[in-house]
Amino acid sequence: MINDDLALRDLSEVADAIAAGRITSVQATEACLARIAVWQPRTNAFLRLHKEKALAQARAMDKELTAGKRRGPLHGVPMAHKDMYYRAGEVSTGGSAIRRNWVAPVTATALQKLDAAGVVELGFLNMAEFAAGPTGHNVHHGHCRNPWDAKRVTGGSSSGSGASVAARMVYGALGSDTGGSIRLPASACGVVGMKATYGRVSRAGAVARSWTLDHVGPLTRTVRDNARMLAIVAGHDPDDSTTSEKPVPDYETLLDGGVRGLRIGFSLPEALAPVDPQIGAALQAAADALGKLGAAITPAKLPDFTALYRSAEVIVKCEAAAMHRPWMEADAPYANQVRTRMEAGFFIPATQYIDALRLRAHFVREFLAMAMDGVDAVMLPAIPFPVPTLEETDVETSGGPATLQMVARFTGLTRPFNTLGLPALSVPCGFDTNGAPIGLQLIGRPFDEALLYRIGHAYQGATEHHKKVPV
Amino acid sequence: MDDKTRLAAGIARQLQGLTYDDKRLTEIAAEVEVLNDAVRKAAAARLTFDDEPAAFASVMEREAK
Repeated sequence: MINDDLALRDLSEVADAIAAGRITSVQATEACLARIAVWQPRTNAFLRLHKEKALAQARAMDKELTAGKRRGPLHGVPMAHKDMYYRAGEVSTGGSAIRRNWVAPVTATALQKLDAAGVVELGFLNMAEFAAGPTGHNVHHGHCRNPWDAKRVTGGSSSGSGASVAARMVYGALGSDTGGSIRLPASACGVVGMKATYGRVSRAGAVARSWTLDHVGPLTRTVRDNARMLAIVAGHDPDDSTTSEKPVPDYETLLDGGVRGLRIGFSLPEALAPVDPQIGAALQAAADALGKLGAAITPAKLPDFTALYRSAEVIVKCEAAAMHRPWMEADAPYANQVRTRMEAGFFIPATQYIDALRLRAHFVREFLAMAMDGVDAVMLPAIPFPVPTLEETDVETSGGPATLQMVARFTGLTRPFNTLGLPALSVPCGFDTNGAPIGLQLIGRPFDEALLYRIGHAYQGATEHHKKVPV
Repeated sequence: MDDKTRLAAGIARQLQGLTYDDKRLTEIAAEVEVLNDAVRKAAAARLTFDDEPAAFASVMEREAK
């Protein structure tokens, strides 16, 4: 019971309690391990659990703290990460069968930064094969299951990250997002997920889905936890030339500004994607709550997402086909849906791929001029329909038109923001009639993660959705 | 086999050294047509001689908060 109580606390609370000597890292790690023992069989969130190694790390962290050394604001906090972040000398599957026993030669920059901050690593988490898939299905390692209802999907591709954080098995987890893969599991599992601005977090040592559209980011239980974790992993990295040299703000100290005076653009994007009435009602309630807190809610002026979406598809397919070509030619064991998603990349002319890249600057300028004109942030649903079941979305075994259409709809409101590279934060905002979570999505200007956190934090201060725990 | 599928078969075999059956080539041809059309139309409406991919990073830095 004591362990369970400890596992239910938030990342920031546990980190601060460890720092103050009120609890130890070993206690926090044991609390997580106790949760994992109960929830792993129900969710299949972990691909590899490093129990003894994590406990040894935790003991080392406690010893350092006793000696007066605190590595950073996450000292002693247990986490686990999507199985696509390389750890030198350790297996890293990328959710695939192809790399089931592949050993990484380097450690991902994001993991190096978490190590330096004192994080304890519990293991690596389930994910869609090579980060390709928005649902959480995985034919090689077993599907990941939603802690709120094991029949339902977690969202993907960071399926284990969403499930493990929601089930309180870990205090935080890294995910990655090429078309919604942080925001979708955050929404479906009822946790907070940040896809920061392209270039804010290094991709070095992370399995690529698309070099142009991949974003590394954290999933946590609260906005405060997310802000603390992003501040650690963000920043320029010589090993990723696309990272920005802009200084990383101390996001956590900027959380408490409130939303009074902020302008938030909000309209249900019916012209872009049909929004289920339950989802629409939850988003409207969130807008009303933010309005009561002093934000000015104004109608959003959203552009047509078709070109944004299709351009992203062109980029992903071409880049994925290029990087996977040797394995595809060798008829390596991909799931059918993963292989077929990439094949068109061999047939798209290079000029179209280059034009898709050239268009991005225009798309960003247009979005900022239209949707962000006169507002500080835009609010949308993350997933515009209730969380479906694994069976309803299993394109591997029942790839009929209805199934394919539903799966394609998952990313309708998330993928455009990978093309745009803008920061996007998913925050829990309610539950559907099946008891599955609903998430709102906040979009900001380039590198304005701090403002999205400020809005999300104010919202969580006025609501209780994020405090509910699956049982 | 229609013209688009035939073209896809030629690209697969002659340019990429890949082999697909006719059914799959027809699916791929249809998928590529949709994607190409969308990008071509967007490009025609926006791109000029001087546009380059790296402009994206510049815009993000310039428009940053």
